[in-house]
Amino acid sequence: MELGPFETDNAVNCRLTSQIPDVCQTEDCCLGIDEAGRGPVLGPMVYGICFCPISKKDKLKELKVADSKTLTETERENLFEKLDGAKSYIGWALQILSPNTISTSMLQRTKYNLNSLSHDTAIGLVQYALDRGVQLKEVFVDTVGPADRYEDKLSKLFPGIKVTVRPKADSLFPIVSAASICAKVARDCAVKGWNFAEDLGEVDTNYGSGYPNDPKTKAWLLKYLDPVFGYPQFVRFSWSTAQTLMDSKGVTVHW
Amino acid sequence: STDSVIDTQKHDCDPAFVRLRNPCTDAASLYMLSSGDVELFEVKAFEEDFHSWFVGQTVQRDGRLLFVTPMDPLYLILPCLIKSGIEGKFQPVDQVVMDEEFPACSRLLSCSRSLASLHHVAEEKEVGTLKFHRYSQEKTMNWLKKKVERTVITLKKRNICVGQGVKSTTYVRVKPQSDYQEEDYLRYAHGLISEYISEDLSKALLRHLELPELTSPKETEPPSKKRKLSDKPVEAGEDYTKFNSADFVRKPSKKMTAAQKSLAKVDKTGMKPMSSFFSPKVKAEK
Repeated sequence: MELGPFETDNAVNCRLTSQIPDVCQTEDCCLGIDEAGRGPVLGPMVYGICFCPISKKDKLKELKVADSKTLTETERENLFEKLDGAKSYIGWALQILSPNTISTSMLQRTKYNLNSLSHDTAIGLVQYALDRGVQLKEVFVDTVGPADRYEDKLSKLFPGIKVTVRPKADSLFPIVSAASICAKVARDCAVKGWNFAEDLGEVDTNYGSGYPNDPKTKAWLLKYLDPVFGYPQFVRFSWSTAQTLMDSKGVTVHW
Repeated sequence: STDSVIDTQKHDCDPAFVRLRNPCTDAASLYMLSSGDVELFEVKAFEEDFHSWFVGQTVQRDGRLLFVTPMDPLYLILPCLIKSGIEGKFQPVDQVVMDEEFPACSRLLSCSRSLASLHHVAEEKEVGTLKFHRYSQEKTMNWLKKKVERTVITLKKRNICVGQGVKSTTYVRVKPQSDYQEEDYLRYAHGLISEYISEDLSKALLRHLELPELTSPKETEPPSKKRKLSDKPVEAGEDYTKFNSADFVRKPSKKMTAAQKSLAKVDKTGMKPMSSFFSPKVKAEK
């Protein structure tokens, strides 16, 4: 996957999109939303949408898209190629939220928590599809926070669209599985090709899964902790793992 | 000319920081004398909480910004003159301007403005080639009044917010400055000049400027709106006794909010009681 502008400056957010299939602008469509990289202390969080005409739902099933967590990296990449190849009826869009954005949102003076950030990103992507003329009738979302309240919020924002918010939606609705694959592939790609803006010399990329409970990730965080500046922008400063380490090993900073 | 602060070629010594007696606080303060002691500068620090500097490749912990600004040496000479003036005698100035605690004090007389401006605050007598001085309160008041007037001109030019109720000079008011009274400017300028003179002089100057002393803020506050208790019996305007009947009992609402419901479902084993979060904490080092 080509991450385009994000590769040149990974401190900012970036939206990647496919072409809008003509049929999506004339026929009633369904749309799935999912995210990748919510939990890790390292790297960006990626939001993905995938949409296709409701009449093409069965064709989507034939592609055998499944919950991205049950697939290997190669399988996911192959599936993304297939999805991206089905340009005549499948469209997708991605929003990459840089770790820097996540940190500054959550740590700013008026706190902007991860759930709000997630909701707003999802809303932004649905609005993008609407703005591009996609005839949305159904939206399926993997939940963030309580499902019923999220569903209420989205239904009110997008009247006339049937919104279904479910936990584990990525294993229930193929269109959400498709969105999750797009998001996951982009996330893997962004992490793998991470271009460190900081002058760190030869960077040790042996940081494990990036999840806070991974001993490799913890060791990496300890290694790249600067007493004054904290971490490279690759790290989400707002994660308690990062904060605890900065509190104990870094210089105390009063704000 | 501020250039002379750093121009060391004209004189054989470098500009130097010196500790001198602050005429307002009577305590030690930092000043700077230019090379050859030609000019006096005061050193002021801008200091606010939660600031630090990045200087080149290092971090400076305190975010202080020092200002070195020209100062009239007469302000520092004045306390010495007043002290010796108690005796009421004319004296050679080099015997007057000295301070055992701050020996650099005598260097103030080398400043180019010092000797030339002594006549603003002292009477002069010449005997042959020798000059003698005696402190004059009257002259000093006139000199300080001029200082105040010059400060007023600058305040107006710089659009500084003056007047009562202004808490910060950097606070920009929508109100046009023409609304300020001349007295507001005079008071403000007097306050500024007072930072360079003793409290006694400041009070004398206030009288000299014919500004009445302000009453304490408490007295100028509007009368309290708290109602006074009266000893008259209270009469109810409405009949409240109907609420006393037995069937009028407020029942606590049994409905829980969504948040309370979801909280009630939580497994509370192993959780700390609420009160444990209110124990005194060790204060973090600043």
